[in-house]
Parts: sequence; C-alpha cells; structure tokens
Amino acid sequence: MNQATAVKSTLPDSLSLVALTVAGLLCLPLVYVAYMALTADAALWSRLWTTRIPELLFNTTALALGVAAGTLLLGVSLAWLVSRREFPGRCIWEWALVLPLAIPTYVLAYIYSHLLGTGGPVESAWQMLAGPDNRLPSPHSYAGVTLVMTLDTFPFVYLLARAAFLNLNVSYEEVARACGASRAGTLFRITLPLMRPAIVAGLSLVVLYVVSDFGAVSLLRYQTLTYAVYQQITGRYDPTAASILSLLLVAIALIFLVAERWFRQRSRFFQTTGRYRTPARRQCGPLGATLASLYTISVFAASFGMPAYMLATWSVSAISSGAVDARFFGFVWNSAFLSGLAATCAVLIGLPLAYLASRRPSRVNLLCLQAAYAGYVLPGPVGALALLVIFSHLAPFWYGTAAVLVIAYVVHFLPAGLQSMEPALQQVTPNLEEASRSLGFGTTATLRRVTLPLVRSGFIAAWVLMFLQSMKELPATLLLRPVGFDTLAVRVWLEASEEYYQLAAPSALLIVLMTIPAILLLLSKDWRAA
Amino acid sequence: MFQSESIPSHEPTQRSTDPSHGQHRPTVLELHNVSCVYGGDRPAITDMSFAAQEGEIVCLLGPSGCGKTTTLRAIAGFEPVTAGKIRLEGRLVSAPGHLVPTERRRIGMVFQEYALFPHLRVQDNVAFGLQHLSAGERATQVRVMLEMVGLTDLAARYPHELSGGQQQRVALARALVQKPAVLLLDEPFSNLDPDMAGRMREDLHDLLRRTKTTAVLVTHDHDEAFAMADRIAVLNNGKLEQLDTPEAVYHTPSTPFVADFVGQADFIPGTIEQDKVVTEIGEFPNQPGYSGGDNVVVMIRPDDVHIAPLAQSTTHILTRQFHGSENVYTIGLPSGRVVHSSEPSTSVYPVGTPVELQVNATHTVLFDRDLHQ
Repeated sequence: MNQATAVKSTLPDSLSLVALTVAGLLCLPLVYVAYMALTADAALWSRLWTTRIPELLFNTTALALGVAAGTLLLGVSLAWLVSRREFPGRCIWEWALVLPLAIPTYVLAYIYSHLLGTGGPVESAWQMLAGPDNRLPSPHSYAGVTLVMTLDTFPFVYLLARAAFLNLNVSYEEVARACGASRAGTLFRITLPLMRPAIVAGLSLVVLYVVSDFGAVSLLRYQTLTYAVYQQITGRYDPTAASILSLLLVAIALIFLVAERWFRQRSRFFQTTGRYRTPARRQCGPLGATLASLYTISVFAASFGMPAYMLATWSVSAISSGAVDARFFGFVWNSAFLSGLAATCAVLIGLPLAYLASRRPSRVNLLCLQAAYAGYVLPGPVGALALLVIFSHLAPFWYGTAAVLVIAYVVHFLPAGLQSMEPALQQVTPNLEEASRSLGFGTTATLRRVTLPLVRSGFIAAWVLMFLQSMKELPATLLLRPVGFDTLAVRVWLEASEEYYQLAAPSALLIVLMTIPAILLLLSKDWRAA
Repeated sequence: MFQSESIPSHEPTQRSTDPSHGQHRPTVLELHNVSCVYGGDRPAITDMSFAAQEGEIVCLLGPSGCGKTTTLRAIAGFEPVTAGKIRLEGRLVSAPGHLVPTERRRIGMVFQEYALFPHLRVQDNVAFGLQHLSAGERATQVRVMLEMVGLTDLAARYPHELSGGQQQRVALARALVQKPAVLLLDEPFSNLDPDMAGRMREDLHDLLRRTKTTAVLVTHDHDEAFAMADRIAVLNNGKLEQLDTPEAVYHTPSTPFVADFVGQADFIPGTIEQDKVVTEIGEFPNQPGYSGGDNVVVMIRPDDVHIAPLAQSTTHILTRQFHGSENVYTIGLPSGRVVHSSEPSTSVYPVGTPVELQVNATHTVLFDRDLHQ
C-alpha cells in the first residue's frame, strides 16, 4: 500500500475530528438510555416484566402486524391498479393516493375519533338505519388505531410497490406468458415475488412508523410501548422504568431494521437488468373501470378527502368565531422558528458526515455516518427522555430551553435528512472535484465552487424534509418544550385531547397544507424516473 | 430485378405444404400482409408476409428500428396486428380484432437479456412452463433438457451465479422444454462477447437441428444471419425487402439497401449499351431480366475485385486495412471514385502502388441509378 493512505487513516484531520465528535454526540442519547436501563434495579425489571411489558409488547406487535397487513393489501393492490390498469381518472388518483402522507397521525386520529365516536356522524347514520339502540365499536380500540394507522401509512407501501411495478423488466412477464402462464399466474408467480424487496422496504418503513408513533395511540388511548414511555415520564416521573421500556422499543425497531437490511442484502440479485420497456396499462371494461374507480375513490376519501374536508369546515367555523388570533400566530411563529433552526443545524451537522463517508469511506468515517442513523431507532419520547435526564443531570440551566428541543429534533430527524444528502453527494463524481483541484483551487474553494452548487438541490430537499418533520413532531415537543411555548402540533394535540375539534382544526389544516407541496416536490424527483 | 420469394397463394387452413420448394414439410408459421401500428418507441411494420416450414430457421435481419422486433412480438402475441393475419400451425392467432393470448400459442421465446427469473433456480426456471405435468414427469423432462444444453451440474444454481453463455443456455432450455411450435429469439447473441457468441451460434444451430425446432431469429448482424439461417428476411423501415437464402441475399440482393446492409459493396455507375453494361472499371453482361432505365449502378463486392501491380495503371492503392485473414484495399479510380478489394492475408502492397483491377463478378447486379439515389 502507498504511504499516503496509511498516513491519512492514522491521522484524522480536523474534518474527521468534527465528524467523530458529532457522531459521538448523536449517539449519546441512545447510549444513555441503554445505560440507564441496564443499570436499573433488578427488582424494577422483574416488576415491569410481570406487570406491564407482556401487554405492551403484545399490543405493539399486534398493532404493527395489523397495520402491516392492511398497508400491504391497500398499497400493493392500489399500486397494481394504477400501474397496470387504465381507467378514467387514473392519472389523478395515481398522484392523489400519496396525499395521506401529509396528514400527521394525531390529526387523522382525532378526526376518526370524532367520526366514529359515540354520537358521531357515522354512528348517527347507522342508528337511522339500524335503530337507535345499535352502537358501533369504539374507535378507541385496537381496530380503531389499526384503521387510522393503515390509512395514514399505506402510501409508503403504495409508492415503493408502484415504482417496482413500473420498473420491472417486462420481459420477465412476457417470457412467463410465453411459457404458458396466465395473467393472474404471471402476477403471483413472477411479478409479486420479484417485487418482494420493494414491498418489504415499504413494510419496514410502515412498521418503524407504527412502533414509534405517539400521536394516534395517545389520542385513541391504545397502550403501546411508545405511549407507555411517555406516561412513565409525565404521569409518574419514573425515568428508569421509562428507560427500560425504551430499551425494549429500540430493540424492536433494531430487529426490524436489521431484518430488512438482511433481506435486502440477500435479494440484491433481484435487480433487473437489460432492455427496459414500459409495462402497458390494460384498458378496463365499463364494469372494471367502475369498480377500480370506486375502490380508489373510497380509499382516497377515507384517508385524505374526508379528513381534509372536515378540517376545512371546522377551520371555517373556528375562524369565524375568532380562534385565529394573535396567539395562534404566536404558535405558527414558534413552530417555524424551532423547525427552521433544527433543519439548518441538522444540514450543517450532516454535511461533514455525509461528505467524509462518500469521499473518504474509511471504516471510521462510515461508522460515523452509521452512528448518525441512531436517531432512526429512537422514537420521539425515548430521545426526549434521554435528553431530559442528560440535561437535568449535566446542564440543568439549559433544561427547559428551546435549545434542548432543537437538539432533540436534530437527533431524531437527521437520518431522514441524511438519506437525501448522501445520494446528492454520491452523485457528484470525485473527478469533478479533482478537476477543480487540478485547475488550482484548494479544498475549501473546491467545496464552495464545485461541490456545494452541485449538491444544493439535494440539501434543500433534506432541509425541507427535516423542517416539516420537526414541525409535525409531537411527543418530544410535549415533553421538552419550555413552559408556555406551544407549537402547532402541540396545540392540535392538546385541543383534540379535550375534544375541542373545531379549535384544533386551523393548526392541523395549516400543518397539512404546508406539507402537501413539499411531499409533491420531493416525489416529483423520483416520480418520472419510476 | 429479383423478387422476394412468393408466399404460397392457396389458403392454408390445415398444416399446408409449400409447393414452391418441392419438399413436403408442413408450414408452421405464416404471416399474410401483416401490419402493426405503434405509437411511441416501437416501429410500425407494413404488409409483411413470409412463412416458415417445420424445422426451418428464418432470420429477420435489419438495422435498429426496422420493425424486426415488432414482427417477432406480433408473432408472440405481445402486439396486436392492425391488418393481415398470422397463423401458427394452421390456426389463426392474430388478425384485426382477434388475438390469441401468448400463453395459448405454443411459442417459445428467448429474450436478448434472457429474462431468467432471478428468484428461481436453474431447474425451476426450466420447469416453469411445465406446471401441467406431474412432478416426476416434470423432473425427467427438465433433466433431459439440461443434459441437452450441457447444464446438468448447474441445475441448483441461481441465474446470477451463471456466466452469460450459461444464462443463455438456460433461457434456451426453458423455451425448448415446452416443445414450442416456433421458437422466437430476439438478438440472442448481442449480450455475449464475440468469441462466446461464435461458439453459442454453433451450439444453437446444432441444437435447433437436433430438436427439429422451427425458429425465427431477430438480428442486426448479417454474419450471424448467414451462419444461422436457412432463409433471411431483410427488413427496412417496416417493410420486407427480400426473403431468400443467405447466399442469394449476399450475391443477388434485390435492392440497394439489401446489397449495402449484408456486406461491403461499391456501387459503380454505368450505362446499358446493347446487352452490355459499360463502366469505368470494365464491361459486364447485362443482368437477365433487368427492366429499369439505361443509367444504372453495378454492385461490386470486395471479393469480386482483385488487384495486380501494374506500373502504367491510372488506378492506385489509397489505403490498406489488415483484417487478419484478409487485406482490404481501397483503390482510387481516375474519376475519383473508390472501389474496395479483398486480397489474401499475405498479399501486401504499399499504399500508392498503381494497380490493375480484375473484376470477376459471377453475376451482374444492377440497380436503376435514379432509384439508387
């Protein structure tokens, strides 16, 4: 080996030192939670094992499985419909089915809590038909949470399955037909098995989302690990018990992540190569077109159309009764300020990590990048718990300031941002930087004049993504916000918990409206390629 | 003018025979005035007619965008036809408004990129189309087939663990094991390196002969078509230009396009005077049956032209390209035109040498000069 590489890997320069420090700090919450849990009193462990944990584990797993099954069914069937069948309005629904991603779970949960709740419109309609004594099952149940989470997260599966349907090399299907397989046989024996990696990737996103969700389960009063962690902190102020539950939660998330990675590794050869031909969409007959439209429209209406309509009408009456006042704009400002600060910090922190990992992929640098993904398996309440304890022990004068909240956002959402920043950097071939160096520019000048302009759009996308996620964030904000410092998300949750549906609506609507263009913007990049 | 071979004119309802060949082999595949219209990236084909008899290998040859793959996909039933008919084993499978689905056509298909199902082992790929058989029968057939293509040892591998040539043999085995009426091959050698492609060509030819498989092969490579085909259909702009044996396509092309596409050719202007064609490189006998105008071009292939050094000649060597088995010379004529000559590998003359031309075309191929431009 030549000497230069040897020197480089033994003597980290200043950038590597920065990356190492940042990565260490990003890992700190996870490590601290684990430490707290593992050093806890054995009696506490056994008490939790015998009382809470079995129920919580069962509830969490059952919810994850139920939502996974639901999203699998909805996502794959809808993706198949829009990518393989032609029916009136197909190109509109193809886009529209992504919109549920713009509705945070706590918003959808509170809308369904009203719709399906006692005395709600659905129950009234049902009682008109079936008689006044007939009751509907409460939305505050396993079925209710599963329904809400399924409607909210199926676009993850839908998007990835749709891309897989469109990217599949049609030759596989044609050769299957030539071998005598029918259309249905080809779908189940060839197409769906070849799409497994995409479907699994979509499902694992869904499962991670469900396991770490706080909004829907708290509003619908369904006991999962995440909700229990929150209750341990707020209700009993028992951080040690909370840390034990957190460790379990992290373990579940990790198991899912590792399983997904393993599966993706194993099925790498599923990558389809060769001549690409767009799969043809088959024209539906009148009956087929009616059924397809009916199905698509009802899913869209249930997951986005009706919730958006309810929010709009509630907002109108809330505004006319003077709910949108100076206080409301104060919440908007709080949200925008916190989220903007967090997104900016996260981009600045992510830059050296992503840059080193893509330009100098030494073991240390890759490890730093992996460490930054720790926030992925750190559901909101868990991250908040860690920061809460760390700051109250080490820096109590910082505790209760907005800075702690910004740190929580960065730790939690940096992974999402990195996923947009990393490919942006990798797409810039090092040759361009080398060309700049050969033309007489130093490292810094090259970064400023060549690399940054080229990665700008990827970084802007990362910023927007992290800004929106921070704005929607609920559990960490609830736990860590300075006294009296409410954000839009917190307002929605507080009003909805008290069943002030109309008062919650303007904030919720604003969050949804701000999220829609960003989702479409982020999608439009991948949309055509797919 | 040479005509494309005519299609048997009687209505072949059952397995018909082609009387023009004198052999009594049933006709397996027939295209009658087939047209496909396509929006988008696929070229259309117009008024395409040809037939293939049992055990025959027909090559569809042409540049990219000529409609050869569309023709193949129409036969497979992936593209509907807008006019004309396609019959397989005497059965009408494609006509306007009538499309027998691919899975009920008894065809085998080998794609350019092979399209081996990546989630199935070699043996399961080959067994894919044998669902209707019992497990034991299926296993036997798969084993026999794998033996035939020499892949017995690799039966339990996944496609990504195979080389390009092995993948192609799996694709072939998967198609042949169903005993298709017609095997359709879309550029089967284009993903292989030239050495491997040459060997696979021989193997494939041998395999098709042994299994008496009727095959339609699409290619843009005339050497491949010459090596494989019983008959070649040369396509251009969605139209059939000529359907003939490889030798006839090479030596007596029916259009300038065919002449140019299937090998190197020079076109020397001349005029018909009485029964002779007069050009600046000599006189040729008139082509029997030629019916165009008197201003013509004569097609000359490099292997028809031989050179010998001659000091007082006004023609001389412009360049020499060494091809291993031959030397290809570019000869400058007094008019400024050039003509090519193929000489043995060992005949080496320096550039600039004045040479005399000896043109020994066994048959004159003429084209009307107005049509040629």
